Amino acid sequence: MKIIQKSILLIIALAIFGLNYFLEDNVDGYVLRVIINCGIGMILAMSLNLINGCAGQFSLGHAGFMGVGAYASALITTVLTLSPFFKTDLGVGCAILTGGLAAAVAGYLVGLPSLRLRGDYLAIVTLGFGEIIRICFLNFEQVGGARGLPGIPRVANFFWVYLWVVVTFVALLRLLRSSYGRAILSVRENEIAAESMGINIAHYKIVAFVISSFFAGIAGGLFAHFQSFIDPNSFVFNKSVEVVIMVVIGGMGSLSGAMLGGIIVTLLPELLRAFDNYRMVIFPLILIILMLVRPRGIFGHKEIWELFRKKASS
Amino acid sequence: MTNISSDTTNHDFKVESLSIAFGGLKAVNRFTLSLQPMELQGLIGPNGAGKTTIFNLITGVYLPDSGAMTLNGKSLLGFKPHQIAKAGIARTFQNIRLFSEMTVIENVMVSYHMRVEYRYVDVLLRTARYYRIENQFRERACALLEIMGLENRKNDKAKSLPYGDQRRLEIARALATNPKVLLLDEPAAGLNTQEKVALMATIAEIRNKFKTAVLLIEHDMKLVMGICEKITVLDHGEIIASGTPREIQNNPKVIEAYLGVG
Repeated sequence: MKIIQKSILLIIALAIFGLNYFLEDNVDGYVLRVIINCGIGMILAMSLNLINGCAGQFSLGHAGFMGVGAYASALITTVLTLSPFFKTDLGVGCAILTGGLAAAVAGYLVGLPSLRLRGDYLAIVTLGFGEIIRICFLNFEQVGGARGLPGIPRVANFFWVYLWVVVTFVALLRLLRSSYGRAILSVRENEIAAESMGINIAHYKIVAFVISSFFAGIAGGLFAHFQSFIDPNSFVFNKSVEVVIMVVIGGMGSLSGAMLGGIIVTLLPELLRAFDNYRMVIFPLILIILMLVRPRGIFGHKEIWELFRKKASS
Repeated sequence: MTNISSDTTNHDFKVESLSIAFGGLKAVNRFTLSLQPMELQGLIGPNGAGKTTIFNLITGVYLPDSGAMTLNGKSLLGFKPHQIAKAGIARTFQNIRLFSEMTVIENVMVSYHMRVEYRYVDVLLRTARYYRIENQFRERACALLEIMGLENRKNDKAKSLPYGDQRRLEIARALATNPKVLLLDEPAAGLNTQEKVALMATIAEIRNKFKTAVLLIEHDMKLVMGICEKITVLDHGEIIASGTPREIQNNPKVIEAYLGVG
């Protein structure tokens, strides 16, 4: 079992590596961009899923965490110019990792109010946090202010983004399938009962925020080093809402659902380009229909493989 | 506040003069109780007498205005609910509070978490230690579910269980915390007579198997009379009687509280 798991992971990593070269040679730039944006969307959705879907908290500030990761990593690779090492693949990888850690620290701070607030009230606080972050970037001339931060090394390609998609997926799945994951889920299910069974609910709410914002920060770092330019407008409130939509249509608490949601929300507006200006009517319409047909998201609480298992047995 | 943490006879659970008021209402007034290891006691009283409030005080959901509470001589006053659970006091809820979207076995396994011995690193890398402890949890949970007669539903969602099984799962989950004191809040509520009798037998059995003291809230006097060694009767937040089932049965104050003045 363990060996099978490990070899599957290795095969996937190799496949991504191979696919990277195949796509760069055979697919046009626009399509590749969309594919990579889907990957970043998946990481964002999977990470937010931990707070909104699994821990049962409501965060509307995910773009803020993404922004922290993007700016922190971009600062290392551009403005600070510590060493030429940070222009190489490996150096950028380290910078992105640092961006994730910076976002995790932010996640810790934003997680604190979640101990006293819940539901809509927490959503307002996280929304406020996201806006504060964005406005800070807007006003700090050191990071380019409203003009943005150009000249970021374009290193994050298909390989790096999808490697992180796999890492995020595996890490979060393993977390959820452990005692820590059960503790986080129990907080969503019933706080009073969880506390009475010895779960320190305050601790696990913070843990959910920290881990989630770490991966959001990674997504931000990848985004920055893929676009090679970031400005505060990339991390507006709308972006946070977009990520919430990804999680909700995929199914709260379902990792594979979040991945599918990430793909749908990134891909649909692109596919609807043929409809020109009407696409911004058609896209929401599709979302509304989707929610009417599957009110609990496409996969509900379940993972995609659990859906099929259920069908096979009945 | 009286402090009795220096008490020398210490292998028991003691509550001394616990009081709480909500606004002008004295919900619980100077409640005193002492539980020996493995003792089975009943707490009865009419609706609104303050029985569940006492459970909430003991488990740290409410902070008492005054009083003392010790387990094995150690004061538990001011502990948070999860610390109380860790200290060895587990409870069930009158209005069932299961983790309804989780499976039956996961519900039980949540209770093992406070003693989990692997770290995040073990989880991410799925080390040998992760597998060992996870399997150990699973086996223990299965054994526990078997005792409670739920082993064939272990992979079903908790919310899909019939009502009586949900009550049993609540008890199983509380037992999984390995308590020294088990607080059962109307475990037989909503069950039919047959199920009630079966449940009471299970409770008596649990006490011996898990070596835990049990404090049982119950409406139905007859049920409590059958299995409890001692019964405390509560009315309007105050103890009106306490003693063996036989003493309670003939106590005029108790009859008055339950039936009114004739």
